[in-house]
Amino acid sequence: MSVYGLYDDPNVAQQAVNNLRAAGVADADITVISSEPFEHFEFGHRDAKTSMPWIAAAAGLIGLGLTYYLLAASQQAWPLVTSGMPIAPNWTNLIIIFEMTMLSAILVTVIMLIFTAFIGQRGKLYDSEVSDGYILVGVENPADAAKLEPALAIHGGRVKTV
Amino acid sequence: MPYRWGMAVDIDKCTGCEACVTACRAENNIQTVGPEQAARGRAMHWIRVERYFEGNFPDVRVKFRPVLCQQCDNAPCEAVCPTYAAHHNEDGLNAQVYNRCIGTRYCANACPYNVRFFNFFNPEWPKPLNLQLNPDVSIREVGVMEKCTFCIQRIKAAKTAAKADGKPIADGSLQPACAQACPTTAIVFGDLNDPNSRVAKLAQSPRGTKLLEDLGAEPKITYLQKQPWYESDAK
Amino acid sequence: MSRTQNNRLADDLVRPLFNTSVWFYAIVVAAGTVVLSGAAAWAFQLWNGIGVAGIRWPVFWAFYLVNFVFWIGISHAGTLISAILRLVDAGWRRPVTRCAEVITVFALMIGAMFPIIHLGRPWLAFWLFPYPSAREIWPNFRSPLAWDFFAINTYLTGSVLFLFLPMIPDLALVRDRSTGWRRKVYGALSFGWRGTTTQWNRLESAMQIMAIAILPVAVSVHTIVSFDFSMANVPMWHSSIFGPYFVAGAIFSGIAALIIAMALLRKFLHLENYLLPMHFDNLGKLLLLMCVLWAYFVFNERLTVWYGNEPHEMAVFWATQRGRFAVPYWTMVICNFVIPFIILSIKPLRTILGCVVASFAVLIGMWLERFLIIVPGLSYKQLPYSWGDYGPRPVELIIMAATFAAMILLYTLFSKFVPIISIWELKAGDHSTPHAPAAPAHASLMASAPPEAGHS
Repeated sequence: MSVYGLYDDPNVAQQAVNNLRAAGVADADITVISSEPFEHFEFGHRDAKTSMPWIAAAAGLIGLGLTYYLLAASQQAWPLVTSGMPIAPNWTNLIIIFEMTMLSAILVTVIMLIFTAFIGQRGKLYDSEVSDGYILVGVENPADAAKLEPALAIHGGRVKTV
Repeated sequence: MPYRWGMAVDIDKCTGCEACVTACRAENNIQTVGPEQAARGRAMHWIRVERYFEGNFPDVRVKFRPVLCQQCDNAPCEAVCPTYAAHHNEDGLNAQVYNRCIGTRYCANACPYNVRFFNFFNPEWPKPLNLQLNPDVSIREVGVMEKCTFCIQRIKAAKTAAKADGKPIADGSLQPACAQACPTTAIVFGDLNDPNSRVAKLAQSPRGTKLLEDLGAEPKITYLQKQPWYESDAK
Repeated sequence: MSRTQNNRLADDLVRPLFNTSVWFYAIVVAAGTVVLSGAAAWAFQLWNGIGVAGIRWPVFWAFYLVNFVFWIGISHAGTLISAILRLVDAGWRRPVTRCAEVITVFALMIGAMFPIIHLGRPWLAFWLFPYPSAREIWPNFRSPLAWDFFAINTYLTGSVLFLFLPMIPDLALVRDRSTGWRRKVYGALSFGWRGTTTQWNRLESAMQIMAIAILPVAVSVHTIVSFDFSMANVPMWHSSIFGPYFVAGAIFSGIAALIIAMALLRKFLHLENYLLPMHFDNLGKLLLLMCVLWAYFVFNERLTVWYGNEPHEMAVFWATQRGRFAVPYWTMVICNFVIPFIILSIKPLRTILGCVVASFAVLIGMWLERFLIIVPGLSYKQLPYSWGDYGPRPVELIIMAATFAAMILLYTLFSKFVPIISIWELKAGDHSTPHAPAAPAHASLMASAPPEAGHS
């Protein structure tokens, strides 16, 4: 069971979020859904903090190490001389190591996105009016629904209960 | 001491008869592409005799230079092959592994001597020409690059026999088809690591030059000529 | 923008998905026919042998490699526009990013087919993949062709993801506006996207990371493609300028392709309010910049060759300036420099039509440039006795035509099933500051568009 309001002005939506906070709802329980990111509004970057860049960089380094090992090991395993070059030349191996580093970073970024944004989603609240441009602000499974309805019933919004 | 096969080609002795070309073709099952394909530039001559005219009439001279795979020590064709089909073997030869070739043709582009040839179509030997094929040499299918191997099948046979006998290969006993067929003994083949072999001595000759030596591919074929290439001596 | 304006935007951009004009069917049928002919030509080549193409001793690489480099070059449009402009937060990029990213993905897919088409034994192409085989042999990682394999696959993976991830919110929007089978398909493709702030933040983080990662990959891909040539000691191939030269040329041809694609979309999908003359003006200026940069690289390369007067290289040089390749060479100079420079540097000429004309010239010129890099060098290698001339055969021409048709076909199909302009990015572009009025003061794409845009 969820209670939420639909607003067509992001400023009103911000007001609704503030009202919910004043009514004692924890930040993590407030769901805000929109059809575009409102980065410049406070409600839009509530949980913007993420360690994705660090993990991507770490994945890149792991890819670097693994590729270095693959190249060195496979080239030494059956050393075939070509053009008098060293068996495992660093200059040429560097090119493949670079590509695999970037690929590792990219793939791990996507995997992280899948887990944090899709598989790891908490909550199922949705209203397809969001696609008409309304901003949804609400709470899923609230402790006290009655207290929240007046908090959400600001001018410019409609309150719904599901 | 491992072998290091090399060759010395005496341009002053070469008459341009092209017996070497014919012998190579017979020994190595090289396909005859036919007149139409040859006109389109697909003829395959592992060894070819280049013909140069020097001087003006009536002092015209013709020079012949047999060009074959130089078996370079720093072969530009080896590093660029993505499947190791072209690599350096322990005898210092530039090995071409037909089974491993996927036909990217990069090696042929990288070779400055243009001695690599490509099978643009599957070879055909209409009967009874198929009876002429050498059973020691495999047939290459479409899409495979090939080139002079210094008759590696003969080298392998000689090495096997020499190992069985417990003796090294005697200089002059092992010859590729071109050297064997040459009527003027202009082509000399042997082990460059053996200081007593004919080819090792000829490689030191003051008449000796290497083809495109400044490119740094370190070819193993020494061309012997008394007169420098570009001076036209009226003598 | 207000909610109603946003909705009108969404309506306009989703309309092509639901309304199909007769042009769509005409283009699909025409392009599809040419693509099928290309497939038939390739089948013919596979059956009869690679000899049906025009390649010969010593010109072993020709049209297939030219097309390979050309299409990989075109694929650099998306990355430049999308990644760089995203990183510097240039607002005018918003309607353009998906158009560009789509070009990248399809041009890469088309270009990546050519390393297989040009092989003598393409059924063994999988040997380039580094897998532990029973024969214990791996690819030769020292070969530029092995580098190509890794680079192109990395770039393709990255580009596909870079295109698909920001598509998800738009697919969700289409899901909500459709019924029946459409709703199911778009629902599946949007992976249950809702639009929570967490999802938006994670998506933005992912896009930021990928933009940073894909830029060096894009530069490296065309550099590695250039290494296919510069690593060989062929006269006028063995030049250290090839890396930056190819990348600059790639971005050059990519922007040209983008301008043409955008102009066609504007016309066929009635996007006059979204793809504004301002966008073409900006891209035209970028194209002008790349034109001058390209000329700079060509001048560099040719001056050093001419000044050095090395006999092997001069044979190739004169062949392109005055000899057998003079006509393609001077055509290339006119198409790549003279025409674009004149049109794009004179503001009254830098209209949408002007930019499109310049872009067509650039595409022709860049194709010729690839040809003139590859074929003359191989025709005139170090030993004059083995010089040889190349001429294309029907198989190569049909397959080449099929690639252009494939690009048109894929692009048309894509714009039918996915909004070609990123709706959420366009909406998001108008919120500069919190508590801003509905029409912000800075240049927004709808409110302060130049007068000639018109409003619906």
